[in-house]
Amino acid sequence: MKHSGCAVNRERHFSCEDCNGNVSGGFDASTSQIVLCQNNIRNQAHMNRVVTHELIHAFDHCRAHVNWFTDVRHLACSEVRAANLSGDCSLINEIFRLHFGLKQHHQTCVRDRAILSILAVRNISKEVAQKAVDEVFESCFNDHEPFGRIPHNKTYARYAHRDFQNRDRYYSNI
Amino acid sequence: MADGGGWRPPRPCEVYRAEWKLCRSARHFLHHYYVHGERPACEQWRRDLASCREWEERRSAEAQRSLCESERARVQATRKHTLVWALRQSPPADWHLPLPQEEKDQ
Repeated sequence: MKHSGCAVNRERHFSCEDCNGNVSGGFDASTSQIVLCQNNIRNQAHMNRVVTHELIHAFDHCRAHVNWFTDVRHLACSEVRAANLSGDCSLINEIFRLHFGLKQHHQTCVRDRAILSILAVRNISKEVAQKAVDEVFESCFNDHEPFGRIPHNKTYARYAHRDFQNRDRYYSNI
Repeated sequence: MADGGGWRPPRPCEVYRAEWKLCRSARHFLHHYYVHGERPACEQWRRDLASCREWEERRSAEAQRSLCESERARVQATRKHTLVWALRQSPPADWHLPLPQEEKDQ
């Protein structure tokens, strides 16, 4: 985030609030603030995942012209990326939700959770949300910025950070 | 690619070895199958490791060429999809601005 010009300040860019329903968090592009739902976040692991999810939205807001409120495809893209890269759709989390599947199930989960996330913040039909996700899925599922890979666990995250630190050497020698 | 003097492998050789080892691990097989529905392909990491070591030991031009080609292919693979949105030239102007006063007062 800092490298992209959006250094994150805990007091300025995070807000802990009570939320309606079972929403865990959100990113408010109009105030550049991540909202964490203190009444719905269950434990540290859940907190880590929600913060990662919302930071991906913040990262997209920082690096791109995302039309959050006027283009549902843009919203869909960021939700696909957040579900894909935050750990939302890990095998363990899906098993806890009683969603059983192995072969390529991750992609099914990412689609479904992206649609749910869109419906939580936009007054549109499920069909419209689904169409938007379908249109952007190929591009957005394969956009792994800033990690360069899906960070399944700390090892992958560590390797991603190592690649980030090595980027100058990398691009000057290919 | 910087030719001749000053060039070195894009990643240290131990990184190629670590990536190859991770790729071949049972855990990564599970992650990859869960995401892509097929087994991972790890052979290119092994080739890159061999090229890296070849460069370190013999300064082989073929090793240099092979590594550059491999890494460029990796970069190309990440760029093959058209982005949904336009990238910014600079971050949002209001990122660091203070919150609206009424929100601060709540």
